[in-house]
Order: sequence, then C-alpha cells, then structure tokens
Amino acid sequence: MPFNSYPYFLFLAVAVLGFRLLEKGAPTGRRVFLLLASYAFYAWWRADFLALLCGSTLVNFWIGSTIEQRRARGQDRRAFLIAGLLFNLGLIATFKYETLFASTANDLLSIGLPVPDFFLPLAISFFTFEQISYLVDADAGKTHNYSLLDYALFVAYFPHLIAGPIVRHNDLIPQFHHLRSRNDDLAAGMTLFSIGLAKKSLIADNLAPFADAIFNAAGRGVALGPTDSWLGTLFFAFQIYFDFSAYSDMALGSSVMLGMRLPVNFHSPYKSASIIEFWRRWHISLSAFLRDYLYVPLGGNRRGAVRRYLNLFITMLLGGLWHGANWTFMLWGGLHGLYLTINHAFRQATKGMTVAPVLRAPLHAGAVALTFAATSLAWIVFRSPDLATARNVVGGLVGQGHSNVVSFSPLAAATLLLLFVVVWLMPNSMEIMWRHNPALPSPYPDQPVAAAKRQSWRPTPVNAALYGALCILAVLALSNLKPFIYFQF
Amino acid sequence: MEKTRYPVWFLGTVALVIAALAAFNAIAGAYILGHPAGGSVQTLSGFERALKPVWLEQIAPELVFVGSSRVRDGFDPVLIDPALGIRSFNYGASSMTPYETRRFAQDALAHNSVKHIVVSLDAFTGNGGPGEALPSFDETRLSVTPEGTPTPRRGLWLFTTRYLSGGALGMNALSAWSLAQLKTGQSAADRPDIFPAYSRMTEAVLKRDLNYRRARTMTMGDGPARELSAMLTAACRAKARVTLFFPPDNMAIIARYRQSGGLDAFKQTVRTMVARHNTSCPNKAGLFDFMAPNELTRESLRDGSSPNYVDLVHFRPPAGLWLLGQMGLTGPKGT
Repeated sequence: MPFNSYPYFLFLAVAVLGFRLLEKGAPTGRRVFLLLASYAFYAWWRADFLALLCGSTLVNFWIGSTIEQRRARGQDRRAFLIAGLLFNLGLIATFKYETLFASTANDLLSIGLPVPDFFLPLAISFFTFEQISYLVDADAGKTHNYSLLDYALFVAYFPHLIAGPIVRHNDLIPQFHHLRSRNDDLAAGMTLFSIGLAKKSLIADNLAPFADAIFNAAGRGVALGPTDSWLGTLFFAFQIYFDFSAYSDMALGSSVMLGMRLPVNFHSPYKSASIIEFWRRWHISLSAFLRDYLYVPLGGNRRGAVRRYLNLFITMLLGGLWHGANWTFMLWGGLHGLYLTINHAFRQATKGMTVAPVLRAPLHAGAVALTFAATSLAWIVFRSPDLATARNVVGGLVGQGHSNVVSFSPLAAATLLLLFVVVWLMPNSMEIMWRHNPALPSPYPDQPVAAAKRQSWRPTPVNAALYGALCILAVLALSNLKPFIYFQF
Repeated sequence: MEKTRYPVWFLGTVALVIAALAAFNAIAGAYILGHPAGGSVQTLSGFERALKPVWLEQIAPELVFVGSSRVRDGFDPVLIDPALGIRSFNYGASSMTPYETRRFAQDALAHNSVKHIVVSLDAFTGNGGPGEALPSFDETRLSVTPEGTPTPRRGLWLFTTRYLSGGALGMNALSAWSLAQLKTGQSAADRPDIFPAYSRMTEAVLKRDLNYRRARTMTMGDGPARELSAMLTAACRAKARVTLFFPPDNMAIIARYRQSGGLDAFKQTVRTMVARHNTSCPNKAGLFDFMAPNELTRESLRDGSSPNYVDLVHFRPPAGLWLLGQMGLTGPKGT
C-alpha cells in the first residue's frame, strides 16, 4: 500500500483511531492491533508474500532466541549465527539476485544456466537487513529476550516496513512498552506527513516525467545533447532527493501519529560539503547500518590506511548492490566508495592545515557545489538501466550528442533555481519539526539535527489551515503512476 | 492554541475542501452528462486523460474513437449519435503516444458495451522518440493492464479519479464552464471561440501551419509498429470490431510528408499488419486511407476559411461525420 494513495490514508486513519481507542486498555492489545494492521498493510500488495514475511520473522526469532540462550549458558553459538546469516542472505540472494547472477554467468561463461524469473517481494531488502542486525546483536549480547509479539512487530511495523528507515530492535522495541501518544503527536505527525506528501506529489512526481523522458531516450540510443543531459541529470538529482525525503517524512509522520519515533533518515544531504558528510545526511539509517554491520566487522579503520580504504570501497560496493539486482547499482556504490576514499585521503593530507577566515565561506560553498556535482554524476549511473545508457548521458554532458528531447525554457531555469534555493538554503522538514521530537536523533553526533529558528512549526490555527491546504493540494495531484523510487528496493 | 485543537483545524480544513471538491465534481459531472451539448466537451483539450476513462465507464458507448488530437477534434458525439442512432464516445487526447493509443484502445475493447472502435493511425507514428513506449497518465484507471488482465481495484481508482483528483477538477471545471457559455438552443458549433474543434482554418492559419509543420514527417518506427501490433493482438480476441484509418490531413501537408519520405512505407507496414491480422483472426479489422487525394483533403478555402479543417491536420466534426459515412458507418446497421 503506497503511502501516497487513498487506501493508505484510510488505513492510517483507522490505524491511528484504533490505536488511540485501545490506549486505555492492555498494552498487549495495542501491540497485537499494530501487528495485525502491519500485516494487513503488507498483504494489500500481495497476500501470498505475507507468508514469506511471517516465515522469515519466525525463523529469525527462533535463531536469535537460541543464540541468546546459548550465550547466557556460555555455549558456542557461532553455528546458529552463521546459519541465521546464511538464511537471510540466501533469502535475499534467491529472490533478488539469483536472476542477475545467473544471467551474468551465462553472458560471461556461456554456460546456459537457467535464469529464474522471481517476483521481488516488497521490502525484502529492508526486513532482511533489520533481522541480520538483530542476530548479530543477539550474538553480541545486545538483545533482551524479546517476546515473539515484540519481535514480529519490530520487523513488520508498517511505517518503516516497505522502504525504511532501517530500524534497530533496541530503537523500536522499548517504545512498544511505553505506548502512549502525547497530545501533540497527532498534530506533529499529520503535519510532517503532509509535508512529505507535498514533496512527493507536487515536486518529485512533476520532475519525474522530464527525467524519465531524457533517460528513456538515452536508453533507446538517442545520442543526448548537452541540454538534455544536464537537465536530465539535474532533474533526476532533485527528483530522487524529494522522492526519498518525502518517503522519509511520511514514514516518520505516520509513526509520530502513533506516538513512536523512527530514526532520522534524511537531513538535507545536498547541503553536505563532502561525500563523508553526504552519507551522514542521506539515507542515514542505511549508512549507519553499513558502518556498524559491514565496515566495522571488515576491520574499519583499525588496520591501516590502505585496508581502511579497501573496507570503505567494499562496503559501498555492497551497499550499492543492496539497492537492486543490477550492476549499475554496484557501480554507483563503487563510485561512492571511490569518492569516500578520495575524501578521506584528502582529509588525511590536509590535516592540520588552516584556512584564512575570509576564505572559509567561499571554500565551503565550493565544497558544497563539488559534492553536489559528484553525487549528481553518480545518480546518472543509479538511474540508468544499463551502462550504455549511463555512457550516453555522460557523453551528452560533454557535448557528444545533439538530441533535443527537452528545451531549456525560462520555466525550467526558474524551476531549477527554486529547487537549489530549497535544498541549499531552506530548513528541512526535520529542522522545521524538531522542537516536537519527530524522530530519534542522528547516529552521527557531528551531524545533529537542530531546530529551525523562525520557520519552526507551531500548532497554531493558521498553521493548521496552511498545512491542511498543502495537504489538499498534494492530494489533488496524487497519481498511481509514480511509486516511491525506494519501494523497488 | 491548545495542541488538541490543531488536528481539528487541520482535519476540518482538509475535510471541508475535500467535501467541496467531491460535491463539485459530482454536480459538474451530472451537469455535463445531462447537458444536450454535453458530448461536445469530449472535443476539448484539457485534462482529458484523467477524466475520459471515467466518462467511458459512465457513458457505456457502442462506438469509440481512439487517437490523437485529430480524433479529439474531429468526432463530436453530439453530431454523430443522432446521425447513427448509437451512443459514441470520443477517446482522443492531445499528443497521444503509440503506447497510450494502444492502451486506450485496449480499454475500449474491454468494455462490454463497445461494439466498434475507430482508430486514427497517425497516433502510431514516430521513430522511437521519448515517451512513445511510456504512459503519461495513470493506467490504473483503465479496464485492463498492458498485458490484458483486469486492473486490480479499478473501481477504487475510478472513484478517486472521478471525485477527488485534480485532473477531474480541471476537466469538469473547463467542461462545465464551456457548456454554461452556450445559450439555450446553441450548440458547440455556434461557439468556436469556446469549442475550437469547430473553428475554421483561415489563410493565416494555413500559412502559419505550413511553417509550423514544415519538418513534420509521417513515419512508423519499430516501437510504434510494436504498439499497433499489440493493439491488433488485443482486438483479435475482442468482441468489438476495429476500424483503422489514415487521417485526412490536408494535401498541402501530405505533400510535405511525401517530400520527407516514409509515408508510403508507413502505409505499407500498416497494410501488411492488417492483412496478417485478418488472415489469422476471426475479428477482422477494417482499414481506410484518407491520407490521399479525396474531396476532403483537396478542399480549398472558401471565402477565406475552410469548411472542413481547423488547421492542416485537424478536421472539423462535420468532416468526421463524413468520414464515418465513407467507412460505411451510416446507421445502427452500419455499426
């Protein structure tokens, strides 16, 4: 059930109303209600795959509990942890990557492997990662004998189920036991949700046709001209920014209405002055997961500079592949791995150097622009269905083609200017809502979210009417045509 | 303000506007469908992709016209229905891509009421340009998916489109306003300033159009050919008859098509596909070529204006009725 659809609005209203009605009853009743609502939310898409979600939950819960028990008794638990990891990775490999691996093996080795045609179960990448983190933490003694109900709700809790944020058990499960929404939760939640809906249907969905037209033309072999390539690149950079930001706001807003907080996931990434900073602002829950459960176990920065860069590169390669079964995603991850390596090496090389105060602002602006350019270049690979398309778009940037899919009109110029103003100069939705505690703090202490000053949201009648009007405008522009980009992962 | 009052103000604003919107769309919809000239709004350019699937469902026509703005301008049910004694529906829309044309045809073919669809072939031209194989509209409003299976939960999407979408608001507002401009006894033909499908090409328009369309071609690439083939495949199993036609663009512009090449190949490709279809399918498709010298395309301006054309490619609804006669659709039996 997409967040940007009437069925979800109705579902959310029923869920919030039911949850609040049950607030005075037994806590278990509220958790059961939320779990059933979450399963109904998932089943709306494909009821048969609900069995996969439930099966995966049961197996992981059993393995996690066994690991906990064996740890308490001082028994060896490695076999269980390995079995759990293999189970989860096997599940995701089967449903998500088997087709890619088989077709690639056939292309490279001509061995005629049968290429399966699995239907990708919605949210499998997200609930698999969350359960891997649970197993690893159970082995490390960081879990607390959760009940099956708590665990199942942690996995299936509908605001984060489909496309994140990737939630840790210890972030969410304790909140299940203090379920009592505050008075302003409903107000803050519906405001945040409306901001997200507006970003999606008024901005991202209106940029998508232009980006799609240009990338599809490139995919069909039309040699893109500079105007098409530049506009396509910029339009997609802004489309994915507002699409993912919208999704994050709507997920967090839905949860706030229920009195629970999800981790902050999006914090003005295009304001970043480096790629390192970018990954502390973009899909924060994924980058924190990759850091804690991949980069650090690989050795992190503990084994010298070369090994550190290699670990970074591997982490980003796999992070890229996590997004989808296509080598373009891996290349996108690899590009970011390379960027991060260069960024860290540059920091190391310039350590101890100081900048004259007068140069700080222009250097910072230059760094922000350079970071935006680098991430936008990487988005080309991310958006392209194959490498030939990406090559075509990049070729257009340097004037290799002569297509004229779109024209650079004054409207396009004004739109881009406005978008740059919004992403670079305006406070983001987290900052606007921060005084009302809309999310768990960022796992990166050096990139904290701070409340906006003048633009901070306040629950006044004028704001209620204004945000209500924004919500209506967004609803009028709703379309089933454009699901969230991250839903496909 | 008490924090608990905020949700009341917020939800109150939303509920009030949504209720007003739904009420407007319901009233405007009833007004349009009940108006004697209501069918003429199907020739208007606006948010037709949003609302026409809903109208198709409500009107339950027997005859449906599918195609680009040539079709949208050229077939007015207000003229056609009394002449043929049937219910017709204009499913044309601006700048239809080959993919969209196939999808709209699929939608019409899937309706039980529809006995006959007439499709203009200019919508299946192009050379792989952007968007030819993509929808620019919400396909969940159509009866069937691209694969031909029923669209899941279509009733819900039609309901929300009809009452709650911005597209419906725009199209209903434009249509209701246009109809409200007609005085008692007037038809769309009396107000070409509001219903441009009834305007007439003048010398100035002809010259401007010749310049505007100077690079216009009429060729069929692989993508459009695939879409036409997919449409014929859908028609093969359907109950409704299919008639295809090359639209009667004015000879002045047909000469341009011939200069730029590709027109004959386009026509030959279509003829071959239709012949193959008719050999293998019980539901034969008709094919008419009006993109050739005939009394319509050869017309010259009379007293400085055209009796049949809005511009060089858009024919007026009376000409559309004439075309139907040429196709043998002359009355209930003819359909």
